[in-house]
Amino acid sequence: MFSAELFTQSLIAGIVIGIIYALMALGITFIYSIVKMINWAMGEFYMLGSFVQYFLVVGLLGPDLWWVAALLSAAAVFLVGWLIEPVLIKPMFTGGIERRDDYATVVTIALLLLMRNLATALNGPYQRSPGTNLGTVMLGPLPESGARLAAALCALAAMVLFWVLLKKTWLGLALRASSQSRVGVQIAGVDILRLDQVAFGIGVGLAGVAGALLAPVFLVFPTNGVVTTTKGFEIIVIGGLGSIPGAVVAGILLGVAESLGAAFISSPYQNAYGFVLLLAVLLIKPSGLFGERMRHA
Amino acid sequence: MRSTRHPAWIGALALAAFGTAGAPAHAQEPITIGLIVPLSPPGDPTGGQLIRRGAELAVEYYNQKGGVLGRPLQLSVQDSQGRPEGGVAAYRRVVGEDKAIAVTGFFHSSVNIAVNELAKNMGVPTMSTQASAAEITSKRYPVAFRTHAIDPLRVAAWLDFMAQKGFKRVSIVAETSDFGIGLTEETQKQVKDKKLAIELQTISFDRSSTDLTPQLLQVKAYKPDLVVNIGVGQPMDLIIDQATTLGILPTTPMLVSYDAPARPQFWQLHPNNGNGIYFIAYYSPKEKLSELGEWLAKTYQAKYNEAPVYGSLNGFGDIAIIAQAATQAKSTDPKAMVAALEGGSFESWPDAKVTFPKADGPYWHNWAPPVLILHFTKPNQDWKEAEVVIEYGK
Repeated sequence: MFSAELFTQSLIAGIVIGIIYALMALGITFIYSIVKMINWAMGEFYMLGSFVQYFLVVGLLGPDLWWVAALLSAAAVFLVGWLIEPVLIKPMFTGGIERRDDYATVVTIALLLLMRNLATALNGPYQRSPGTNLGTVMLGPLPESGARLAAALCALAAMVLFWVLLKKTWLGLALRASSQSRVGVQIAGVDILRLDQVAFGIGVGLAGVAGALLAPVFLVFPTNGVVTTTKGFEIIVIGGLGSIPGAVVAGILLGVAESLGAAFISSPYQNAYGFVLLLAVLLIKPSGLFGERMRHA
Repeated sequence: MRSTRHPAWIGALALAAFGTAGAPAHAQEPITIGLIVPLSPPGDPTGGQLIRRGAELAVEYYNQKGGVLGRPLQLSVQDSQGRPEGGVAAYRRVVGEDKAIAVTGFFHSSVNIAVNELAKNMGVPTMSTQASAAEITSKRYPVAFRTHAIDPLRVAAWLDFMAQKGFKRVSIVAETSDFGIGLTEETQKQVKDKKLAIELQTISFDRSSTDLTPQLLQVKAYKPDLVVNIGVGQPMDLIIDQATTLGILPTTPMLVSYDAPARPQFWQLHPNNGNGIYFIAYYSPKEKLSELGEWLAKTYQAKYNEAPVYGSLNGFGDIAIIAQAATQAKSTDPKAMVAALEGGSFESWPDAKVTFPKADGPYWHNWAPPVLILHFTKPNQDWKEAEVVIEYGK
């Protein structure tokens, strides 16, 4: 039976989780737009961020300084990405590799397995939670967890900061130029390989901050990044591969579709509604909501 | 001359050395028991790890006593990830490659059900340690055995609990696994058969979902007297946390469908909302243990610095039963093992003999411990101090 209150609650819950989904997808689409590769290990960088957050909050800073821990977690994951890129990703452009897509797929899947198994070996399979002192907040008729709301607000802030970085800084200009033409930026004197390294670091750092913010909400364990990868790829296909506004809009659409679908159609198929949305978008606009057709020389 | 004499001399030495040592070396070949447990998500890795601890201690126990049939015992541990296909591949490996004489450790019902379909053809017996779906034994496969509480017993226990507490409106939030669906259907069936005045709301969810707010909003709108949480592993914890956020807990009591709250990590995950939780358990520390059980409790405490929970006790017990069956059969042949399990009487961790009668329905080849409902009455309470609300089937 339809209930206006349940509808409003489900809609708000869907928007909140959708904003969080958008943050999960932003890193994937950003790396694709610059480095022209799909990073299949993105969920593992999310997992790494959640573990760093857990150890910082429990072992060092305490739950009140969760936001400091989240910033440090993002920085730590950025650093890991920044260090990994020259070893694993750079040879894609410097090693005379012909089939770059295949190379990127194999390398990032290997990285995924390595990181996941390393986490299991070091942590054991156990679930952990950094805990939170943030209480429940009323969002209209919906009681929402303080930690989840904080994650959504921080996700919005991270997206705004990211937008400012892209639109208002020299680095952002270089990144945007690189996404349009890798050859063009090299002619303009930009070190494209260094730019790739920074872009990879920023992309995985975004996944890391998502993991850190969601650690008290979805818990910390070696395979908690699986959902991030699945939702992330759904979102970038719906929004358009490489489109940042597309990732934000598609994230919210996915969150709302899942929430309303589970509440009013059938709850066991919660994860299927996203795929229905994906198929519908692909039927209407094969390049995604904000995607553009690629031109090849 | 040299060339002919030398090999003869070496041959004699070799015969002396290996001729006598060869036979015992063959006799000393270890007996392998397969252990298929979830060690990573989407399964419940903690559940798998606890069973593994008990099973490893059982191997240690028997090897200290000289092994089984004069041969050392060893485990082949495989991670099912809680996925049926993972379990089937693992069974094939332990039986085909490692020549396991029996396979145990099952935690997720869907894994055990899928493996039994293969086991009925390959012939090596399976022993369910903590998988409870009725279907595991109700198909009456000669190779399927179980030492765990089945769905009908668990449901009967919680219906008694609902009657005792006067709960009339109950929400069941269940994952779409054999365990979740089986328990939901069994509850509906028993409520109807027993003509109980209990109104049920049943909501199911995909166990890979992390946001269960939409499901729990429906629960909240229903205004139940009790919520039955049938999530296993991470979903069980997420339901507790997300129900707290929505204000369902602590106002509405929650019953967890298995013994996860007895695990040491429970209070680390739920320091502020674990109090008041009811949960199913299969062992009370007030219960008398057998000699084997006492050995395990003492060794486990010394090794892990905590008391064993049911998963470890039953993981230990199942290896002990398989070892005793091989001894009674005087063979590791699968058919002889099945016959020994069917006809024998075994010692496990409880102070009662374990048998596997050819009984009707899900009671086929099934020995079940009593089903308890425990209740945390204060924060950070040791599960051994939890209030025993219901003790069913003793």
